[in-house]
Amino acid sequence: MIDIRNVSKWYGQFQVLAECTTSVREGEVVVVCGPSGSGKSTLIKCVNGLEPFQQGDIIVKGTSIGDPKTNLSRLRAHVGMVFQNFELFPHMRITENLTIGQIKVLNRSKDEALEKGLGLLDRVGLKAQANKFPGELSGGQQQRVAIARALAMDPICMLFDEPTSALDPEMINEVLDVMVELAKEGMTMMCVTHEMGFARKVANRVIFMDQGRIVEDAKKEDFFGTPRSERAQQFLSKILQH
Amino acid sequence: MAYNWNWEIFLQPSATGEGTYLSWLLEGLKWTVTLSLSAWVIALIIGSIIGVLRTVPNRWLGLLAATYVEVFRNIPLLVQLFIWYFVLPELLPRGMGDGFKQMNPLAQQFVSALVCLGFFTAARVAEQVRSGINSLPRGQKNAGLAMGFTLPQVYRHVLLPMAYRIIVPPLTSEFLNIFKNSAVATTIGLIELSRQAQQLVDFTAQPYEAFIAVTLLYLLINVALMFLMRQVEQKVRVPGFIGGK
Amino acid sequence: MHDFDWTSIPGAIPLLAKGMLVTLEVTLTAIAVGVVWGTLLAVARLGRNRVLSWLATVYVNLFRSVPLVMVILWFYLIVPQALKAIFGESIGDIRLTSALVAFALFEAAYYSEIIRAGIQSVAKGQMAAGLALGLTPGQTMRMIILPQAFRNMLPLLLTQAIILFQDTSLVYVIGLSDFFGTSYKVGDRDGRLVELLLFAGAVYFVICFSVSRVVKHLQARFSS
Repeated sequence: MIDIRNVSKWYGQFQVLAECTTSVREGEVVVVCGPSGSGKSTLIKCVNGLEPFQQGDIIVKGTSIGDPKTNLSRLRAHVGMVFQNFELFPHMRITENLTIGQIKVLNRSKDEALEKGLGLLDRVGLKAQANKFPGELSGGQQQRVAIARALAMDPICMLFDEPTSALDPEMINEVLDVMVELAKEGMTMMCVTHEMGFARKVANRVIFMDQGRIVEDAKKEDFFGTPRSERAQQFLSKILQH
Repeated sequence: MAYNWNWEIFLQPSATGEGTYLSWLLEGLKWTVTLSLSAWVIALIIGSIIGVLRTVPNRWLGLLAATYVEVFRNIPLLVQLFIWYFVLPELLPRGMGDGFKQMNPLAQQFVSALVCLGFFTAARVAEQVRSGINSLPRGQKNAGLAMGFTLPQVYRHVLLPMAYRIIVPPLTSEFLNIFKNSAVATTIGLIELSRQAQQLVDFTAQPYEAFIAVTLLYLLINVALMFLMRQVEQKVRVPGFIGGK
Repeated sequence: MHDFDWTSIPGAIPLLAKGMLVTLEVTLTAIAVGVVWGTLLAVARLGRNRVLSWLATVYVNLFRSVPLVMVILWFYLIVPQALKAIFGESIGDIRLTSALVAFALFEAAYYSEIIRAGIQSVAKGQMAAGLALGLTPGQTMRMIILPQAFRNMLPLLLTQAIILFQDTSLVYVIGLSDFFGTSYKVGDRDGRLVELLLFAGAVYFVICFSVSRVVKHLQARFSS
């Protein structure tokens, strides 16, 4: 589904991604972890073309991201993304946040979009908040709405960019629970996260990045059992102390 | 000070026989308000376009917009007015130039002042719009794009609605400024409020009453506008968004 | 298309330079007086004396609500009479004098807002630290707060100066010949109004744009 081929990216002279190659198959859940500055957020933003890259290519369900002729908007309509800072649209009520993409991009009717939106809102347990504004919700609630907003577009895969890093500890689980459910239902997911508990539970593979490179790319059991690289071992030991 | 105060001068019929002096003031007020409001509409439209252009990825559009802003901000308003009124008709193709000069003088003055004020203020509105858009978190644009919005859609549904709410206070300032700046039109003879003040000084022996009345009218305009903008600010406030700051 | 003939300009340079001197005189006087008076107003507004604070607020709000054109006209009306009352006669060039007074008092209101924001931008702890050292509030304000406030606000103060420089062209309404007024006169006299107006516009642009570049450069240096 997602095929990352030898992607390199520079900000001016500074190289942020170096020859990254990996893939995510349909139904797979891949967790990307690494120290800050390792390029993991940048990499995932390259997958839906939010960040351009200078070398290599990324193919998402047959569509090449690097091809200048590709209509990125059309592609993004089918790839869901959840952001670290939720990024709900503050001037719209929750219902409108959920329906605006469906109406304006997928050309669904207002009723259809609303029905779908409310259904998803119910699934994440927030039906009562439908008419509120994002500013009136807690972080955890906003992030769950953000997930519902992405799901409302019926995406073929979901990208998560540190979805719980901006949350207070007591709200992390409510969001992770939603993500676990999603994984169990067979959604193709690529998640940048520090939450190793989540990785252990539902990930198929774990990717470890350091300084713009993919240092480790292993099945979950292998990664947690005996990571090959020293960097990954160091990282894991620090992270797992929590 | 041996000055004869005579507040009833306003109710007296004017020396030219056209209405009372009060009616002269009100005429001036009418032109000030009409000119300012119309110019504000132009300024908002052009200013928004230029402001948006300064934030889009296209370098040439950005440069064009930046040039517009620099030109209109670094030349005095009075000079700009004279250029629109005296110079432009000479530079237009013969037909248009002559057409302008044959218009009713009041119309010539009004149109020049309108275009001048509109374009001048647009440069300032553009800067506000630009800073409003730039003050939004980057993630907002990304969230819009990630959903499949094209860039114009991102501006229309995500960036501009919030940017405008954020810049209501500085825009209010510009709105007030346009009313004050309209006084510059007196130099080309437009019968706006400050010109009527001068007319009253010329025709009556009561300059202080005239100036005080006109000053009060300007203050009144200020108060009315501040009230109006406060209503606007209340209406567009986003719940939970801390003061829109 | 208009027949451009720029030959009027070189010969008129001495006259135009004289006009520019008037512009500069008004600008610099207004900046000097405006900053000083504006600082006093700002300090008064933030001070504890409620009467002074209220008076300063009224002053600032009044001058900021009225067009500069009206202020210029007002002082052209009042200043001659005031001078007659004080000195028994009007001194010097009455147009210039009333313009100087008008601009100085007007700009002070705008400067006071900038300086007020500047004072408030200096951390509150600074006043406490000064007082803790045994300095009086006045000394603390003078030696500790104001210097920092000015440093913070320098870009805005300079930008206001550019605006002021442009605004001086409005002395046209009382017939004072500054650079713009002179340009207009020359253009009118020689029948070359188009050329002179465009020339004046270009000169203002070059000056203001250059100074604004310097300000931007300063802003970049200060924020690093």
